Amino acid sequence: MADLADLSMVEAAEAVRSGEATSLELLDACWANMERLNPTLNATIWLDREGAEASARAADRAVREKAWLGPLHGVPMVHKDMYYQAGRLSTCGSALRRDFRPAITATVIERLAAAGAYTFGGLNMAEFAQNPTGHNRAFGDCHNPWNPPYITGGSSSASGVSVAARFNYMAFGSDTGGSIRLPAAACGVTGIKPTQTRVSRYGVMPLSFSADNVGPLARTARDCARVMTLIAGRDPRDPSSSHEPVPDYEAALDGDVRGLRIGMPATWFLDEVDEPVLKALEHAVAVLASRGATVHQIALPMMDAVTTYGSIISRVEAATIHAQWMRERAGEYGIHISGRMYGGYAIPATYYVEALSRRGPVLKQFAKEVFSQVDVLITPTIRTCLPTLEETDIDHGPPGTEVRFMTVSANTRPFNYLGLPAVSVNCGFDPNGLPIGLQIAARPFAEARVLKVADAYQRDTDFHLRRPPMLDSADARGVIVA
Amino acid sequence: MNEFEAEIEATIARWHGITAPNEPARRMAADLVNTIRAFEALRGTLAFEDEPSSFEAALLEAKE
Repeated sequence: MADLADLSMVEAAEAVRSGEATSLELLDACWANMERLNPTLNATIWLDREGAEASARAADRAVREKAWLGPLHGVPMVHKDMYYQAGRLSTCGSALRRDFRPAITATVIERLAAAGAYTFGGLNMAEFAQNPTGHNRAFGDCHNPWNPPYITGGSSSASGVSVAARFNYMAFGSDTGGSIRLPAAACGVTGIKPTQTRVSRYGVMPLSFSADNVGPLARTARDCARVMTLIAGRDPRDPSSSHEPVPDYEAALDGDVRGLRIGMPATWFLDEVDEPVLKALEHAVAVLASRGATVHQIALPMMDAVTTYGSIISRVEAATIHAQWMRERAGEYGIHISGRMYGGYAIPATYYVEALSRRGPVLKQFAKEVFSQVDVLITPTIRTCLPTLEETDIDHGPPGTEVRFMTVSANTRPFNYLGLPAVSVNCGFDPNGLPIGLQIAARPFAEARVLKVADAYQRDTDFHLRRPPMLDSADARGVIVA
Repeated sequence: MNEFEAEIEATIARWHGITAPNEPARRMAADLVNTIRAFEALRGTLAFEDEPSSFEAALLEAKE
């Protein structure tokens, strides 16, 4: 069998189930890549090898004993270090929670465990999930496996890195302004931000209760579909979670996009787009058109309202929940983290309530005008070729660095305010060898549709299967000079 | 520091007991002037009956 760490999550689960590989072999394969590349990438905060081995041996014993096996039986996983597991470390990427051990376990961790997966560590992330780049003062910056001086995307930085670098078959990320889709795009993997309310957030570190979402990053759309089927749905412990029935997302992946109406935004999402990004987008759309989809230019309504209101909500909510630490321990945050939150304290309550109150009407009008004309919107996940960590380092950079920093998430934030599902898949590479992300968004609760389109695209392309060069290089530092 | 920036810092200190932790914080707070402009451009769009809980209903209404 090929390199076990190179398998997709679904393939890894099938390998264990069929006896082609053991769970311990999967763990060893991932661990070997981690040992070799993590000194360069800085993707992990803590690891429990002993616990992982015990879980792997138990999983392998169950296979031998022909016990009932869940859909993720024996698959080892590491998640963003903000998914609580009772009694285990959960740093939230911050010095302020360096020793934090929660008393509860996240619902989504429990649901994957019930499906047979096990978790053995915590991944690096932006401090308190608050940047789109992967900078982290407390635990060190996370580096892109395709070219380490460049950003990984954030805030779920190492969720993207660990999947791309074959440390991991799937990692949870969280998405408040793009934090699943950005690292998926920057690291060349697949990630989905579900509809707001679709997945329980119980036991997951909060950032913005109105805009936080939980979702997977993995190698393929099929991997994400399997995870979504397991984690979506009502959770009494998260009163904001939806009662909407959960379809079998994986069963809907049939590659058939005939008649699908693709909307290409004529404005906003392509403003100041870099040429390589635009070319990759056009190529991706042509791939889907060759499968029978039709392409339509579309003017998007209300983008001023979406961006203005959207910028308020998460700032105010983050500032509110961090207020006590900002009073007493502001110096323990990264400069850009406390710096971004600070302005949130001056935003009037009337602005905040207006932003929340307009959210429903804006969504209704947006959906009515857009989704009467097209079935999905397709945009670049990030408008530009990826910047370096240095170019976006507010803590050490010159005034104005924050503008480049904020540009990274310009195309993802609107879908958080609108609450729409959106997936990001790799659709090519820029001149620096870094991945380019394709974002596919649709109506509320249309996760099946965005995953189906992503899967159809991946049936005809191999970008999602490519390996970062450092995996096959004797030099694990992996710097590419364009 | 201009008058607007001084006002913002004073407001945050008075209402929250929080001081500017660093220079980028001051710069990003100063950018609130653009937030005010953006809200000015949207004046008149809020309807009297609009309220935050309408969002969950809108999600369901806008689904297929």
